[in-house]
Amino acid sequence: MVNILFFAKSRELSGVNSAQITVLSQCTFTNLLENILQQYPSLAVISENIILALNEDYLSKDSDVNLQEGDEIAVIPPISGG
Amino acid sequence: MIKQDIADLQKQINEKQMELDNLKEMLNTKSEFRHPSLTVEALDCLEKSDNLSNEQIGRYSRQLILPEIGVKGQLSLSSKSVLIVGAGGLGCPSAVYLAAAGVGRIGIVDYDEVELNNLHRQILHTEKRVGTPKSSSVASSCTQLNSLVECIPYHLQLDSTNALRLIKQYDVVLDATDNVATRYLLNDACILANKPLVSGSALRFEGQLTVYNYEGGPCYRCLYPKPPPPETVTNCSDGGVLGVIPGIIGCMQALEAIKICAGIDPSFSQKLLLFDGLQGSFRSIKIRGRQPTCPVCGDNPSITELIDYEQFCGARANDKVNIRCICVHFAFVFNSSL
Repeated sequence: MVNILFFAKSRELSGVNSAQITVLSQCTFTNLLENILQQYPSLAVISENIILALNEDYLSKDSDVNLQEGDEIAVIPPISGG
Repeated sequence: MIKQDIADLQKQINEKQMELDNLKEMLNTKSEFRHPSLTVEALDCLEKSDNLSNEQIGRYSRQLILPEIGVKGQLSLSSKSVLIVGAGGLGCPSAVYLAAAGVGRIGIVDYDEVELNNLHRQILHTEKRVGTPKSSSVASSCTQLNSLVECIPYHLQLDSTNALRLIKQYDVVLDATDNVATRYLLNDACILANKPLVSGSALRFEGQLTVYNYEGGPCYRCLYPKPPPPETVTNCSDGGVLGVIPGIIGCMQALEAIKICAGIDPSFSQKLLLFDGLQGSFRSIKIRGRQPTCPVCGDNPSITELIDYEQFCGARANDKVNIRCICVHFAFVFNSSL
């Protein structure tokens, strides 16, 4: 189980600030994103406009991801208001 | 009878006094009004000085004694110029702290006029300035606070035809805008002109802050190569915002810009600050450096001049919504809750 945090538009679309989800412990960025989208299909509309971070570190789109119990994944779309 | 006369005269005096006060107020408003530039004109270079004046030493004494600033940092600040794009919720707090700190020149760009619904967050405007250009209003307020700082208001819409010419005349650029199209425009213009971009944004209870294009750091497109679908973009007009949220982010933009101008490295290059005012949390995400494949700052850029950003984003370069829609919406909500 990992903690997933939603910010800005992803918070609005998912309807929650955070949740605990089960994901594969070893996967690619793409697998992780697909896994998140399966559990939160409403995020599909912004799936190309988000950053994913693992324990406050940016995840690049070509990276392999190793997850451990209690890790924190952040879903970060940009805010454009001001 | 005499008592009545005295009372009448007193009443007349009071009325005349009120009239006089009003006229004085109007005169003040008129004399403080700064006429904005409607076009981008060439500016003289900022004069560099080797010494601080007595007035500067007195005014800035509390920041001069900071070893990280000192006389050298203050001289550097006063020889630098900052362009603030957007005289709104982010632009007001950033402008006032940049002026207070003694940046040499501040340019303020905004195409819009002050409206009553701006005042809860755009704190340099006043009730009397409703209907006047926002850029002038911010310039007036900053000049009143610190007349040593040169404030230049631009009452114009920043677009592909004028952005580069304007940005090239400044040392640091602040993105204090309210829409996606202008954010991509500013990003690309800052890459092409090689200027650091201190970017802030705010919505509802959340804010974000990053410094782009600073010494090998990424640009906005490195992080967000594709603009979001327009229907997924929420702006302050329809999502709402608590005034103090852009207040906090705008102050942090000023802090980052002051550091850059004083010769101190900014803290949010290659870092993204996520502020959540409802939960009271600040998170700092480490982000990657410049992407070699980036279409604008990469090794083989495909964007070598400014493009049509409204077309690229599929959205207008402002956050205006039809006020009548809001009124109808609120009337409906309020009436149905009664």
